[in-house]
Amino acid sequence: MRVLLAAALVALASPVLAETPEQRLDALDKRITRLEDMNQVEKLQRVYGYFVDKGQWTQLSELFADDATLEIGGKGLFLGKKRVLEYMQTAFGKDGPKEGLLANHMQFQPVVDIAPDGKTAWVRSRAFVMSVGGWGLPLYEDEFTKQNGVWKFSRESGPFTMYTSWKGWGHDALNNTWPDKFDPPPDLPPTTVYLTYPAYWIVPFHYPNPVTGKPFPVEPVGAYQAPPGTPEQEASLKVGRLADGTQPIAQPPRD
Amino acid sequence: MRRALIAIAALAVALPAHAQSVEQRIAAYKHRVDLLEDQNAIEDLQATYGYYFDKGLWNQAASLFAPGGTFEYGQRGVYIGQAHIQRAMLLFGPQGLAAGHLNNHMLLQAVITVADDGLSAKARWQGMVMLSRPGQNGVWGVGVYENAYVRQKGVWKISKLHFYVTAETDYDAGWLKSAIPMQGPSALFPPDKPPTEVYRAFPGVYIPPFDYKHPVTGKSLSDIPEPPDDVVGRK
Repeated sequence: MRVLLAAALVALASPVLAETPEQRLDALDKRITRLEDMNQVEKLQRVYGYFVDKGQWTQLSELFADDATLEIGGKGLFLGKKRVLEYMQTAFGKDGPKEGLLANHMQFQPVVDIAPDGKTAWVRSRAFVMSVGGWGLPLYEDEFTKQNGVWKFSRESGPFTMYTSWKGWGHDALNNTWPDKFDPPPDLPPTTVYLTYPAYWIVPFHYPNPVTGKPFPVEPVGAYQAPPGTPEQEASLKVGRLADGTQPIAQPPRD
Repeated sequence: MRRALIAIAALAVALPAHAQSVEQRIAAYKHRVDLLEDQNAIEDLQATYGYYFDKGLWNQAASLFAPGGTFEYGQRGVYIGQAHIQRAMLLFGPQGLAAGHLNNHMLLQAVITVADDGLSAKARWQGMVMLSRPGQNGVWGVGVYENAYVRQKGVWKISKLHFYVTAETDYDAGWLKSAIPMQGPSALFPPDKPPTEVYRAFPGVYIPPFDYKHPVTGKSLSDIPEPPDDVVGRK
């Protein structure tokens, strides 16, 4: 693959007439494969969403590589395909939709990138959750791996932006979930501790700015309920939840 | 011409790239690009349908269907052919969106599968719905499309549009207080056929059958059992 890549790069750098037809076809193959890979990775993310909507946990877990990881909200890290299935079936019940339950996770706005070697891919995308519990906005920074020609999830990372009741985010909001909020417990603690709306955390981007071509640091990474540097913000970093294990339902900021 | 190329392409796919002649490789790559373009054309077609439907442009929306194409929305039954489809759409309001109406049917999350011969395709879409009429409360809705497409003389058309309503609720009340049932077949403009599948919207649950195979295991998803429903009588 590396050799092919090198060939493609050489081909790009040389005048077209200096290339052999084989070289030109190699370069073309690589570009077509990249487009196909982008489509397939987008499809995986969308298929994941449909499985969530109707509770196809077994089929959902089969979208993951054996050693994949999953982290949703503030719940912590789950390691491996089997734990993905256990997470879903323990937290949300056995396979299949439940009467009176709506948990739609509508998937959109993907930004897809394929590694130069064509074996790893990333998607930044989001879901709009419309559920009996209200509204929600998870963001995804997911990673995919191509094994024996088949793309699979290697990392699902779904930090929350905002969760609120049907009354809406002008009324109330859930700060985040946390490891022991519900069963099963995670294998590892959360990779980042952050609060959701009205606080926020800027999830690092897997890709550089597409116009400048430069990556940029999102600093400082952290949770803010008030402008950085203020006493309120300093305090907010220390307040995760109340002594009884519950999290405060925060009031949105007022002008 | 296209068929012949596909046969060559299919042959070529079986061989490693460097064991193929330049002609074989060009044919194989052309076929792959054809399929990518087909997928984009179908995405555009369905998105265009959405923009027409939102604004009550029934004549334009109906013109996107192939002859003998079908239109099925919730439990309203199946309408066959452009003329009947256009008439069925009048049940959603007059031609041209009426004042004070909102008829938004947002389409997202497409999973498009183009047949290898490039002549037909299927797609699953997520449908978010926002409705209003003068003097009535706004409505939030959501559902799933399972559609089919056909390519005729180089042009992609809708051969089947089936919108499965998942749930509809009063905008202010929300799911815990309001679950709006689906409408049945119209007496005014009756459908050509009864609903192909009988199910309830929320609080009932139903899995619109998946047209595609599992993208990792390759297994069919057609054997996923439907949840039981006492009202519909599904065990």
